Amino acid sequence: MATDPAAVWKLVQRADELVKYAQNRDPHTAYAQARAVLDEAEALAGQLDQKAADGLRAQIETRRSDIARFEAAV
Amino acid sequence: MFRKKDPAMAARIPPGQHLTRGWPVLSASPIPPFDPATWRFRCSGLCNGAEWTWDEFRALPQTSITSDIHCVTAWSKLDNAWDGVLFSEVAKRAGIKPEATHALVKAPYDYDANLPIDALMDDDVLFAWNHDGEPLEPKHGGPLRLVVPKRYFWKSTKWANEIEFLDHDQRGFWEVRGYHNDAFPWEEQRYSWQE
Repeated sequence: MATDPAAVWKLVQRADELVKYAQNRDPHTAYAQARAVLDEAEALAGQLDQKAADGLRAQIETRRSDIARFEAAV
Repeated sequence: MFRKKDPAMAARIPPGQHLTRGWPVLSASPIPPFDPATWRFRCSGLCNGAEWTWDEFRALPQTSITSDIHCVTAWSKLDNAWDGVLFSEVAKRAGIKPEATHALVKAPYDYDANLPIDALMDDDVLFAWNHDGEPLEPKHGGPLRLVVPKRYFWKSTKWANEIEFLDHDQRGFWEVRGYHNDAFPWEEQRYSWQE
């Protein structure tokens, strides 16, 4: 069965929530969990057609950069 | 943390939202440090330009507004009492130019949120330094955050320190990351794929 882009986006959102609530707990743990969810999202995106996968991969990469930036500032 | 909605309250809660009594802490970035001696608020882009120190900004005409919060993560918090200065007052003092149609309200760590000037000039949009009579806590955007009650709360930039006036729309931090450009809670405009 083909992967639904919405399933990938749901994981990206999950990573967003982990980042957004990171300041409520140990931020480094939250960022690590967010990165793991993004890895999962990227793996799932690999099963999509290229156009959909490229857009989602770009979103995933942006978030990885954000997390690296925020983590360095904590 | 949550309470049952009575009919009057239910009428104030947009679709897909639930009521919270507390105030969840959310932010994309870490909390930036605040030093009142070095803090500055700047206006740039299509205006005459302006810069205020913390004391100068706090001396701007104060207004008090009570409004509801609707977060895109699906919680709503009602009856928040804000003290601060209206966006329209800041824009006027910065000498906003007639050709400005949009603005980015910015914060440290490259955070920003975009809105049309018409929306920002509403009489319920302010830069708030107090919440429920107390100085706004850093975790909630203190010392200063924008409050735009008619939009999802990510449009209400925490730790606001700059307005850039533009003659075009330019998506902000979350808007670039797949969230809705307009963000009206009553239309449940959460994601950019809905646009």
